[in-house]
Amino acid sequence: MLNMLILGLPTGENSSMSTIISTMMYLSFILFILFGQKIQLYTMIWNMSGAIKKLEIMKFEARELTIKTLKEIGKPKNDITPRLNALLEQFLISPVNMDPAGIVWKFDHLLDVREEKFKDDVKRLAPEADNAQQNNMENLVEGSLALNTVYRIVRHFYLLGRKTQSFYLILQLQMILPLIMQEAEALVGATKAFARGQPIGDGVGPLVVSKLMKDKEKRKVEKDVVVSELMMDGRKILALKAEGPGGNVGKPGDAIKQLIEEREGKIAMVVMVDAAVKFEGEKTGDISEGIGAAIGGIGTERFKIEEEASKYKIPVHAVIVKESLQDAITPMKKEIVEATDNVITSIKSLLLERTQEAETIIIAGIGNTIGIGQ
Amino acid sequence: MATAQKKSGVYFYLAIIFSIGVLAYSAWLIFNSVISYEQGQTGEFYYGLILGAIGVGLSVSSLSTMRRRMQTIKTKELKTFTVEYCEKCSFKKLREFKVGDYVYKKIGACPQCKEELLISQIYSESPKE
Repeated sequence: MLNMLILGLPTGENSSMSTIISTMMYLSFILFILFGQKIQLYTMIWNMSGAIKKLEIMKFEARELTIKTLKEIGKPKNDITPRLNALLEQFLISPVNMDPAGIVWKFDHLLDVREEKFKDDVKRLAPEADNAQQNNMENLVEGSLALNTVYRIVRHFYLLGRKTQSFYLILQLQMILPLIMQEAEALVGATKAFARGQPIGDGVGPLVVSKLMKDKEKRKVEKDVVVSELMMDGRKILALKAEGPGGNVGKPGDAIKQLIEEREGKIAMVVMVDAAVKFEGEKTGDISEGIGAAIGGIGTERFKIEEEASKYKIPVHAVIVKESLQDAITPMKKEIVEATDNVITSIKSLLLERTQEAETIIIAGIGNTIGIGQ
Repeated sequence: MATAQKKSGVYFYLAIIFSIGVLAYSAWLIFNSVISYEQGQTGEFYYGLILGAIGVGLSVSSLSTMRRRMQTIKTKELKTFTVEYCEKCSFKKLREFKVGDYVYKKIGACPQCKEELLISQIYSESPKE
C-alpha cells in the first residue's frame, strides 16, 4: 500500500488533481485560522442542544412519575398539576454570610421552615398516603425538583451562551456537562427508587444500625430519629437512625446532642456510619475508617455534633462505605448490602481498641432510611 | 413528550442505518480507487481514497458514539430483589421486589418451620450480573 502511495504521488499528468487538493488544504487551513473558534463554538452548541433535550426528557419523565405516584397513592380529589408545578419551582434563600457568627442556627431554622412547608404541601398533594408513604412522596418530589433545577440552570447558561455567542461560557458548561448528565441520570434512578420505596445506596448507615437494633426496644428522640439500647462486647450501645421505612434522614445532630445531654456528657465515643463518595478506581462497598463527624448536607447537623463532642471532649469516629454519587441515590447495590457485615466488624474492633467495658457508646447510622425498617 | 421520545428513538435507528450506509459506500469508494490505481488513473485513485477515508472516519466515529449511548442505556436497567429469610431455620427465598417491601418487614409464617419470616435484604443488580 505504501509502495502504491509513493508510486502514485501526483506529478506531471496528475498535477491538476494535486492543485485541487492543495487548494482545498490551504482553504481549510485559512478557514480554521479565521473561523476555528466559531466552528468549535457551533459544534459545542450543537452537542449541548442534544444534552439539553435529554435533560428535558429526564425532567419530564420524573415529573410524570411523580404525578402518577401521587395520584395512585395519595388519591387527591383535585388536579394536582398546578400545585406540583409551583412546588417544583420552590427555592431557599440562604442567610446573609457577611457576618457569619450564628449563621448555622439561621440556616437550621430556614431548613426547618422549608421542611415543614414541604411536608404540608406534599400532604395536600397526597392526602390518603400514610406517614411512610408521605415521606417517600416528599423524597420523590425533591428528586423531581432537583432535576427541574438542574435542567433550568443548564438551559439558562446554554441559552445565554448562544445569545451572547460567548465561547468561554459555552466551554465552561461543556466541560462540566458529562458530570451534570451523570448526576441527572442518577436523579432519574432516584425518583424511580423513591416512587417504589426501594432502599438507596445512601441508606447503608441506617441499614447497619437497623441490623444492630433489630428486636430491641426503640424510642423516638429528636426529629424522626429512633434509638435502641443494646450491649456489644460488654459496652452499652445507643444505636440511632432515622425512623423508617419511609424516606427520611431525620436530624441526627439534634438526636446525638440530646443523648449526650441526657447522660451529661458521659459518652466514651461516637461512631458515625455513613456512605461516602469514592474516588474513581475504588470499589463500591469498600469501607474506610476515619475521625470526625461523617454526615453530609449543608453542615448544620455536623456543626451540632462537633459542638457537642468538643464540649464534652468525646472522640468522634467515622466508618464510611465507599460508593459513587450515582450509587448513593439509586437503588442499593448488592455490594453495598454485603458491606454492612464488614462495617459491624470494623465498629466492634474500634470499640475493643478505643473503649473500656461498661462505657456508653453512640452508634449513629446516617443517611436516607427509605425502604429500611428497624 | 412521549411522542418526542418515540421520534428520538426513530431518529436514533435512522442515524445507525445512515452511518452503516455511509460506511458501506466509503468502503466501496476505497475499493474502486484501488481498481482505478491499477488501471493507472491516479487522479481517480486519490479522489476515491480521500473521500472514502473521510467517510470511513465519520461513520466509524458516529457508530462508536451510538454504541456508547446504547451501553449507557443498557447499564441503567437494574433489577431489584427481595430476600425473604427465616432466622430460625435459615430458610431463604429470593424474589423480585414488590412495592411495599422494606428491610425487616415481617411477612408471615415461614413455609418450613412456621416461625416469623422477614425481609432481610433488598438490593439491585444489573441483569448481566
